[in-house]
Amino acid sequence: MVAVGLFALWPMVNGFRESFYKEIAGQPAQFDGLSNYRQIVTDAAFWGAVRNTFEFVIGFVVLTLILATLAAVLLNAQKFAKGFFRAAIYVPVLIAPIVVGILWNWVLNPTSGVLDAILHKLGLGQPLWLVQPHLAMIAAVFVEIWATLGFYSLILLGGLQSIDPNLYDAAQVDGASAWSQFVYITLPSLRPMMLLVVILSMITGFQAFEFLYTLTGGGPLGGTTLIVQYIYDHAFVPPNLNFGLALAGSVLLFLVLMALTLVSFVAGRRRGAA
Amino acid sequence: MTTVDSERLSAWRLPFSTRTRRNNGQQAPTWTSVSGRRVPSPWSVLRTAALIGMVLVAITPLIWIALGSFKNLTQLLGSPLSLPTSLNLSNYKGGFEQFDFLTYLRNSTVVTISATALTLVLSATAGYGLAKYNFRGRDGLFVVVLATIMIPIQVILVPIFQVVVDLHLVDSLWGLIIPPAATPTGVFLMRQYFLSIPDELIEAARVDGAGEFRTFWRIVLPNARPALAVLAIISIGWRWNDFIWPLIVAQTPNVYTLPLALGLLSSEQAVPYNFILAMVVASMIPVVFMFLFLQRHIIKGIAMTGLK
Repeated sequence: MVAVGLFALWPMVNGFRESFYKEIAGQPAQFDGLSNYRQIVTDAAFWGAVRNTFEFVIGFVVLTLILATLAAVLLNAQKFAKGFFRAAIYVPVLIAPIVVGILWNWVLNPTSGVLDAILHKLGLGQPLWLVQPHLAMIAAVFVEIWATLGFYSLILLGGLQSIDPNLYDAAQVDGASAWSQFVYITLPSLRPMMLLVVILSMITGFQAFEFLYTLTGGGPLGGTTLIVQYIYDHAFVPPNLNFGLALAGSVLLFLVLMALTLVSFVAGRRRGAA
Repeated sequence: MTTVDSERLSAWRLPFSTRTRRNNGQQAPTWTSVSGRRVPSPWSVLRTAALIGMVLVAITPLIWIALGSFKNLTQLLGSPLSLPTSLNLSNYKGGFEQFDFLTYLRNSTVVTISATALTLVLSATAGYGLAKYNFRGRDGLFVVVLATIMIPIQVILVPIFQVVVDLHLVDSLWGLIIPPAATPTGVFLMRQYFLSIPDELIEAARVDGAGEFRTFWRIVLPNARPALAVLAIISIGWRWNDFIWPLIVAQTPNVYTLPLALGLLSSEQAVPYNFILAMVVASMIPVVFMFLFLQRHIIKGIAMTGLK
């Protein structure tokens, strides 16, 4: 009993060493640290990254919620070839984020890109997606949605399938239209799953880094540099090396994510009570 | 749902059926429903069209890059819209020969398989301990597990990297395998599943004289096969596609994994694009195949855990 307890405990302790080390490593940053924080709050690049991150996260979360709900409703109603549609919409989720970036960089590329070539043929000009900061941000949001929508759609689809069909029958008897059935039955029943999608996509959005690394590299002019890129640049890229700043950025990101998680827990509990 | 659908949509059917009748006067309608029993309503046609649109957006870029990987550089740059003229494998040959594609592939495979195996062992044992043994501080430990799930690796990159430096694992495959394998998510998943295995089963094994390890190995693990399958699939996907961790730990090309090599090569201007496309396509093949074979498990896994 004790032996297996140890056997089970050992990897656990070993596995969560990370978390303990995080606190140990966090301390030096705090001890000589207030200067790091003072430095980071006066760094224009940091605030640029924060603003970009919020723009990115808000755009991504809102559009994901709308599009994933739409996709889930469509998939749920679909009977013909539903397995195919479900799988096909999910395929982009399998692609490594790094490859997603390469792929879309190729599609959006101003010189050899397919999309610009098509738009040019149609006489719509060349938008230079990845050259103008604002367009690059739009492209980044779109690409992240492309890469993750299948996943969120399947979560919502699971939610839709667990709605009691009797509710719809009852509404039918009462003469409710398709739209009011959607508004008064589907949406409220789907709320828990939608909340999950919002939380997961928010966390994903705050962590976005890999696909941007190959899509835009944080450019143009820092227009798509998000907070994780800022941390990475200061921790590991030679010209900017500043471990203290990277750690301070990490701690701040951690606090934001922790706050979001707490908010979601509170929201979840209130939902449970209602 | 079926009844609701047909009822709700009866109002739609009128203009539609007149159109079919008009069509029927000359020829059969151009489409038929799969069952052949019921003509599809305009709503279902619209819905299918919308889904087809989504699917096109989802997979056209992938098909396009697969086609692009057969084009030579002049075609790629000069005429982006053209289709490849022949099934030209020179990009694949060039990419595999000029870059150590096979080394990266081997590293990726080794890392994915060992990390997944390690994840299964660590998660199963730790999850079992948390689910079925009473010891002081168990609940406290479990809260720690939960808290660490919420922390993304990006936030603790720097601290974990310092640990890896202290353990002298930088720039080795072990450094790529061990830290990501100890995933709290796996522990959480296994613990939740072990909770659903009745204590009586374990008690019975003990009464019959099985030792602790034997009970775990012969009784508990076989019962947890679905959870182990889900965890293995999730872990393979994570490790195969992982970029940021290898980016930091692997510092010489002979320990690069595929995503890392592709990411670094693609950010260098000097590397010919056609070779990168070919290697990108080659790197996607294993995951897509895994998905095709295990689709059912993967979709169930999402429903079960909310993880990709």
